[in-house]
This record gives sequence, structure tokens and C-alpha cells, in this order.
Amino acid sequence: MSINDFLAILPVLVVLVTGVLVMVADVFLPEGRKGIAALLSGLGLAAGLGAALAAVPSTGTAFAGMVVADGFSLFLDALFAAVGLVGIGLAYDYFKRMRLQRGEYYTLLLFSIGGMMLMGHANDLVMFFLALELLSIPLYILSGFFRARLASQEAALKYFLLGAFSSGFVLYGIAMVFGGTASINLEGIVAAVRDGSANLTFLLVGAALLVVGFAFKVSAVPFHAWTPDVYEGAPSPLTGFMSSATKAAGFAALIRLLLVVFPALGENLAPVVSGLAALTMIAGNLIALVQTNIKRLLAYSSIAHAGYLLIGLVAVNSSAAGDAVAAMLFYLVGYAIANLGAWSVVVAAEQAEGRGLELEDYSGLGRKYPWLGVAMLVFMLSFIGVPLTLGFWGKLYLFRVALESGLFGLAVIGIAASLVSAYYYLRVVVYMFFRDGEGVARRDVWLNLIAIGSAAAVVLMALVPGDLLQVAAQAVLRVP
Amino acid sequence: MLEQWMYIGIFMVVAMMLPSIAIIIAGLLSPRRPNPIKNSTYECGIETVGPGWPQFRVQYYIFGLVFLIFDVETVFLFPWAVAYNRLGLFAAVEAALFIAILAGGLIYAWKKGALRWL
Amino acid sequence: MNLSNNPLLWVTFLPLAGALLVALLPDARRSWIRWTAMAAALATFAASLWLLAGFDPSSGQMQMVIQVPWLRVAGISIDFALGVDGITLLMVLLTAFLVPLAMLSAWSGVRERVKGFMILFLLLETGLIGVFLALDLVLFYIFWEFTLVPMYFLIGLWGYSRRIYAALKFFIFTMFGSLLMLLAIIFMGLQAGTFNYTDLLAQRELFAGAQLWLFFAFALAFAIKVPMFPLHTWLPDAHVEAPTAGSVILAGIMLKMGAYGFLRYNLPLFPEATLRAAPWLAGLAVVGILYGAATAFAQKDAKRLVAYSSVSHLGFVMLGIFALTQQSVAGGVLQMVNHGLSTGALFLVVGMLYERRHTRDMAAYGGIWKVVPVLGALMLAVVLSSAALPGTNGFVGEFTILLGSFGAPALGTPWFAGLATVGVILAAVYLLHLYERLFLGPLTHEENRQMPDLNLREVLILVPILVMVFWIGLYPQPFLDLINPSVETLLQSVLPAAVAMH
Repeated sequence: MSINDFLAILPVLVVLVTGVLVMVADVFLPEGRKGIAALLSGLGLAAGLGAALAAVPSTGTAFAGMVVADGFSLFLDALFAAVGLVGIGLAYDYFKRMRLQRGEYYTLLLFSIGGMMLMGHANDLVMFFLALELLSIPLYILSGFFRARLASQEAALKYFLLGAFSSGFVLYGIAMVFGGTASINLEGIVAAVRDGSANLTFLLVGAALLVVGFAFKVSAVPFHAWTPDVYEGAPSPLTGFMSSATKAAGFAALIRLLLVVFPALGENLAPVVSGLAALTMIAGNLIALVQTNIKRLLAYSSIAHAGYLLIGLVAVNSSAAGDAVAAMLFYLVGYAIANLGAWSVVVAAEQAEGRGLELEDYSGLGRKYPWLGVAMLVFMLSFIGVPLTLGFWGKLYLFRVALESGLFGLAVIGIAASLVSAYYYLRVVVYMFFRDGEGVARRDVWLNLIAIGSAAAVVLMALVPGDLLQVAAQAVLRVP
Repeated sequence: MLEQWMYIGIFMVVAMMLPSIAIIIAGLLSPRRPNPIKNSTYECGIETVGPGWPQFRVQYYIFGLVFLIFDVETVFLFPWAVAYNRLGLFAAVEAALFIAILAGGLIYAWKKGALRWL
Repeated sequence: MNLSNNPLLWVTFLPLAGALLVALLPDARRSWIRWTAMAAALATFAASLWLLAGFDPSSGQMQMVIQVPWLRVAGISIDFALGVDGITLLMVLLTAFLVPLAMLSAWSGVRERVKGFMILFLLLETGLIGVFLALDLVLFYIFWEFTLVPMYFLIGLWGYSRRIYAALKFFIFTMFGSLLMLLAIIFMGLQAGTFNYTDLLAQRELFAGAQLWLFFAFALAFAIKVPMFPLHTWLPDAHVEAPTAGSVILAGIMLKMGAYGFLRYNLPLFPEATLRAAPWLAGLAVVGILYGAATAFAQKDAKRLVAYSSVSHLGFVMLGIFALTQQSVAGGVLQMVNHGLSTGALFLVVGMLYERRHTRDMAAYGGIWKVVPVLGALMLAVVLSSAALPGTNGFVGEFTILLGSFGAPALGTPWFAGLATVGVILAAVYLLHLYERLFLGPLTHEENRQMPDLNLREVLILVPILVMVFWIGLYPQPFLDLINPSVETLLQSVLPAAVAMH
């Protein structure tokens, strides 16, 4: 063990240490000055972001093969830190407004981000499990942050129970893989498969269990049941953060597992993942059609987007693997930006006691607050995949990968699903612009900044999407 | 391959049979002379008091958690201390970090008032 | 290559610049906003004339081509490629010509949220011109989809009572077709390693194996836009609920995007599939002609009648395109322009009536010729042009199409043209019926007696269109000279496949 080991996961360490510091510092802050905790957390995340951007991708492992620091994990580090920063921006004014400004929120958020980052770095099944728990447990607590609200408590309990259930799948999968290959280290597993000493049946069962476990985290149908309730009950800023970041963390694990560990099982797993993708796209979009609550609508929308991403996951074991990973990372970034932006609008429009969350409450909002309205329009168009938004390029890349690896059926389902999604995304626009109403929105500097900044990013980056794709394409995984 | 599975199968059958046979035999052979004292909840001689679902003070659990901090600390530090001479500076720093993190937790609990019994 | 001297760039992005400029103006200054927008639209028209001046009509090839690599999708580059040939040029001219007039028509019709209206209108113009000029399939798709958003808002915000339903229907219908087209575009890009139209054309054998599917995917997108029977159901709703200026652009230009797409992409890229599908699509076109005419006749709502007449008229265009003879295709292109002028003008006139009486029900009018003689006279000219009276543009277009498709080898039988001829007669019937119900006979409603006649602004809107109507009607040669070389080039890339097949 040496200093280099610590350097390999420096972004993670920075974030986690900041988490501890914020926790201790928070108890010394007087009521009303809790903004300092937010500020400290922001600085920590910014430092983590800087560390991730400055780091050089390595091809080796650290901590005796437990973690890696390849381009893929550093890309995700940067993504999580950036999403976390925006998440803090979403939360600050909101909790002040709801009279719930507490430092613990930021501490737990930082711990969760640390877990997500670790997920990208994991090179050992136990590390995957550790990262999964580290990212999940703070989120269970944060979902119930509105202790006085019944819905929030329900969200926390539901998330905890189903999350623990999914952890069980992951753990059982790890046990199976260990049984099949006598190793929990990714290198060891790959070596066992290569020299033929692995029991492929056990390995397959284990891989399937792992896929199921992480499918919970990315809320793929039929493992999505917790998503709408948790997203609805949890505080809105947290939901915005969660729907952007947790999904990326889950996909990080799935990509590394399917690409690095189980390439030999590609044929067996591909039909399963294809089925998940098709189901997720269809069910997510169809159920979203009938939602009247914006949080639930966005929850089903996030399920639907997991479905599009799963197309890329199917292609991960084809000849187009590199493109598939790049396309998924690109899509995740585009989705995260638009999604955080959309949630900033939701946070701005939410009133005390959870009012202001029905679509009806959005009537006339777009006309009254043109900037907010135009921003929301941009996000919705990006979700649909209309050109000149990042969402369009994301879908273009994903469908390109799908066609390249011969997944015509999934591509057509994806197209049909996008069409269905146009209906419910446009409904938000209809309410905001075409109807008259008394809707009010909070004017907060940070929220406005996030909304307008995200909208500008979605549009401007769509004019030169090549650069982001280039970066995503360089985020390669270490293959032992 | 298949034989190995058979061993497992035999093992499972035997494993299930042993306790069930023991229970059945005990049920058949044992004398049955019930009286009120034998039927009470605990056979330790003390009468049960109050309902079965009393509310504990929530601080009881918080104290329990804080106790765990020190408990875990001991469990981890004991082997470290035993092998201290052979571990060197690196381990000393590691242990210091470990204690610092735990101390952070303790300070948090302290300031939050978790150590005050109300 | 000096890009700043290329009129293509100017004509595409002048409206966008205008939109940005308008966005900077304060909301309350309505006349500033209106005049700035108008100036941008007129400047675009001027740029399109510049384009015309620099165009060499003797060549049927793409001219003034701009080709700048934009980005690469994992090895396949997407170009920012624009170019113009005779067909494109006419479409661009039509767009740049109609947009200022439509804008002028909104002078009094749109009083609320003028700024938003003008911004969206200019954005729409950029999108439309981009669709016609794009020479890269991804770029084309981007412009194609981009036109949806402003139109969606124009219908949804400034439309009539059922505007939300109509706007949504319009968006979803168009999106339905174009998403499949996107898949086809990606597939072709993967097969050929490029999205550039010219390169794809040169290597069309690479995806020839799947061309029936690709043809279908493209055709679906375009057929919805045209719209061809039975995919036309979004059209009456969108047209009727849109504000007048929106209807003009929708009918005058957006429908042409579909027909243009067929010409530019389906025909040359998938020649064998084209030949195989020609009789079917021509058949649908004829059904559309007759169905549109019959439905138009049954309407009580004047705007709905005009909307269905579009279905019928676009049927002629499609028949001309899929008859695949030099004459019929050239006629089809000319008819695209004609329909833009005549139906655009019809929508304008109906809009002017609506502004006066706030109803589109034909029964609310009747005998108003005596009250508004100028409007009556101008509308008569518009109606006759739409009904293809000899001497007007409609006659030249439809006559050329019918002549070209009678003996068309691709169709094999003169029945298509024969049945379509019935459509010409039906058009006269429903259009004169419309005119009669509105203007002729005794004055049926007393309140119409006070109806003001056209003001100068309204006359100014209609006169340029009528000038074009009669110019094309009496002396179409300059237009045909623009069209013919390009059509020849186009058919040359289709017909060798025909020879190979027979």
C-alpha cells in the first residue's frame, strides 16, 4: 500500500473527507448559518471535480486490485461531482424555504456521491457491494428527510425495503460468481473464465442476479415499482439529484460487469437485457402518459430513459462495444443536464406542504416566467429527442449503436417509445404555455442559474456535440 | 458431476431428517403434565408486568449506537496493538485516521445532545 | 471558399439573426418588433433574389455548395452541407416570398404576444429554408424536426378554440413519420460511411439491398407531411386551428417539404424501390385527389374546405412526381409553387373574412360581393387560380402533370391520369361553390352590410401573389427553364434503374 493507491481514488477521498468535515463542522454552526455547510460541501465537490479532471487515467489497479482509475471511472467521477454540485444548488434555497435547513443533508449527499464515485472505480465484487451500500444508505435517509410528511416517510421506508432487497440480489450474485470462479476480483474472474476453470452455470446465475440487483438501481421495468413513490415522496432537490446520479452509478456497474467480467456470457445475457430494455421503454413511457403529478411524470420519464440506455447495454457485448459505452456516457450526461434543469423548475414551482406539484399548477407558468418556461421547453424537447438539443444527439448515438450491432427491433421500439413520450412531455409545455393559471414560481438566484444554465448547455452543446463525444469515447474501461 | 450433486442431495435429506426425527421422538416419548406455572411465558419465576409492546425511550437506542462506536474501536484496535511493532509508521497513521473518523462521529453525537439523558 | 459571400448562408440564417434581434427588443414596443421582423423577412427575400441572380439555370447540378465538416459520430462525419438546384431554388424563393406576406397578414390578427409570434415566425423560416437547402441527411433531419417546434407554438398559442388538440396532433403525427426516417438515415450512414447526400447518391448500391425498407421509412415521413391519403387526418385540424399566417406557411410551404423530400431523397436514393412503389403511391395520390375534393365539397367551414382542397391539390403533385416522366415531374414541381401561392392566398382571404366577422361558417356570409367588392374581386381571382382556370398558374401546373402522366411508362396505364382529371372538374365545383356561398346571391345577413372592404395593407398582401399567379399562368417559361435541367438530372439517376428492371 502506498501513496499512489490513495492518489488513484483521490476524487472519492476528497468527497468523503469533505463529508466527514461538514458533518463535524455542522454541529458548531448556529441555526440560520447552515448555508456554510452547503458552501463547504460545494467547495469539496468542486475540489473532487478538479481532482477528477486533473487525474491521468491509469491502466493499473490500486489497493491490491480492489479499485481501478481508468478513463471510465474518472469520467464518472467528474459527472457525479458536477451533478452533486448542481444538487446542492437545488437544495439550498429549497430547504431554507421549507424551514428544514440542516447540515446533515449535505453530509449525506456527499457520502452518497462518494459511493457513486466508488462504484465507477470498483474492480472487485466486494467493492461493488460496498459502493452500492455507501451510495444507497444515505439516500434512504435523505428520502425521509421531511420527517413530518407522511409521503416522505413512506418513500424512505419503501426505498429502504426494496433497496435492501436488491442488495440481497447483488450479494447473492456475488456469492454465486465466487462459487463459480473461486474469485471475487474482476481479474481473477476473467482469468478463471479464460483458463476454463470456471463453472459457467454458476457464473451465469451470478451474473443474472447481479444484473437484477443493479436493474433495481437504474429502475428498469419490472424492478421499477419503488421509483414513482420514492421520487414523489422524497424532497424534490434530492429526487433531481437521485434521478440523474443514481442511474449513472447503476449503469456504471452494469457496464463494467457486462463488458469486462461477463463478455463470455454475452449471448446468454443479451436476450435478458434486451427484454429489460424493451419492457422498460414501453412500460415507462406508457405509464407516464396518465400521470398528473409532475414528480411522478418525471419519475416514469426517468424509467423510460433507463430503457433507452439499456439498448446501449445490450450492444456492449457486440463488436460496437466502444461506441456503445461512449454513447451511453454521452446519453447519461445529456440526460443529467436536462433532468437537473427540469427538476430545478420543479423545485422553483413547489410550494410549502407539497403543493404546486400537479400539472394543473403549472398552468400559465411559462408565460408568467418566460425564462423558466423556455428552459423547461428546452428540457422537454431534449427528453423527446428533438434536434438541436443534447437529447437528440444522445438518441442518435444510441440508435446508431443499436443499428450497428443489429438490434433493429430494439431501435424500432425505442423510436415508438420516443413518439409516445412526445405526448406527455408536450403536455407539460401545454400547461405551461397554452393554459391560463395562477401558478407561481420561486425566484432564486441558484435555481434560475441552474435552469437557464442547463438550458443553455443543452442547446449550445448540441451545436458542437463532437467534443463531448470525443471525451466520452476516450473514457475507456480497463480490460484485464 | 452428477454424483457430486447426489452427495449434496443425500446430505440435505439426512440434514432435514435428523432434527425432524428428534422432534417427533421427543413429542412421542415426553410425559405431559401441564400446570399454570409451566404454561406461563417465562419459567424463571418472575411474573410478567405490563403489555408486550411497551415503548422504549428512543435515547436507549442512541446510547446503544454510541456504545457501538467504542465497541468497534476496541475490536479493531486490539489486533492492531498486538502487532504494532511489526507494522511501522504506515499502520500508525492508518489507526490515527481511524480514530479521527470515530472521534468525528463522537463529537457529532455529543454536540447533538445524544449523550444527555433527558 | 469564402463563406460570407455565399448567399445560401445568408438566406438560411438571416431570419435567425432577425429572431435574435427581435428577442432583444422590449416587449411593449410592438411596432418596433413588427418592423424589425418584417425587415428581416424582406432581407431574406432579397438574399433569395441574390441567390437567383447567382444561379446558373442551364445546369441541373447542385450549385454554390457549402460543405464544412461539422462533427464526427464515431468515424462517420456529419457535414454542414448546403446546396441549391432549380427545384430547391424555387422552394426557397417561394418561402422567402410568402413569409413577409404572411407576416403582414398577422399585423392586425396577432395583437397579443407579438414578440413571441415574430420570433417563432422567423425561426420557422430558418428551419424551412434549411430543409430545402440541406445536403447532409442529418442536417436535413435537424432542420426538418426543428420546423415542428415553432409551428407547434404558432398553432398552440395563437390558434383558435381547439388549438391545443390540433397542435399536439400535428406534432405527434409528424414526429411519427420522421423518427422512422431517422433510423433509416442512421442505417444508410452506417452502410455508406457518410451522411453527405452527394456521397450517398454516388454509393447508393451500398444500401440497395434494403432499399424497399428505406424507401418506406422515408416515404412515411414525407407522406405524412404532404399529406397523402390516408395519412392526412392531422391536416384539417392543424390548418383550421392555426392562425391565418400559420395556415399560410403550413399549406404554402410545410406541405411542400414532404413533396420536396420525395423528389430529393426517395427518387434518386432508392430508384428501384421508387419504380416498384410508383403505381401504389400514384394510386394513393389519385384517391387523395378525389377524396379531398369530395370532402371539401361537404364542408360548412370555409377554412376546412380550403384545408381539404390542399389534400386534393397535393395529390396532383404526388401523381406528377410518381409518374416519373420529365413533363410530369416538372409539372409537379411547378404545381408545388402554384399550390403555395393559390392556397396561401385562399387562406389569407378566408382569414380576412374571419377578422371581419369572427366566424368561418359559410352560412354566416352570402351575397357580400356588393359590400366588399375589392375583396370579392381579388378572391375570385384566387379561387379561379386554385381551380386551375386557363390563364392562371394552376392550369399550367395541373395540365403539365396530366399530360406527363397519361403515357407514363412507370404507371403503365392512363387510368391514373384519367381519374385525376375528374379531380380538376371537382376542384372547380367545390371552389366555385365556396365562392358562391360567400359572395354571390342576395345579402343574407344584415350585420354583413357594415363589413369594411380591404384596406391598403390587405390589398398589398394579395396583389404580389396575384401577380405571380398570372405570371406563371401566362408565361411559365422562365420557371420551367429553372425546373427542367434539375428534373432531368434527377430522372437520369432514377430511370437507368428502370431500364435495368424491365
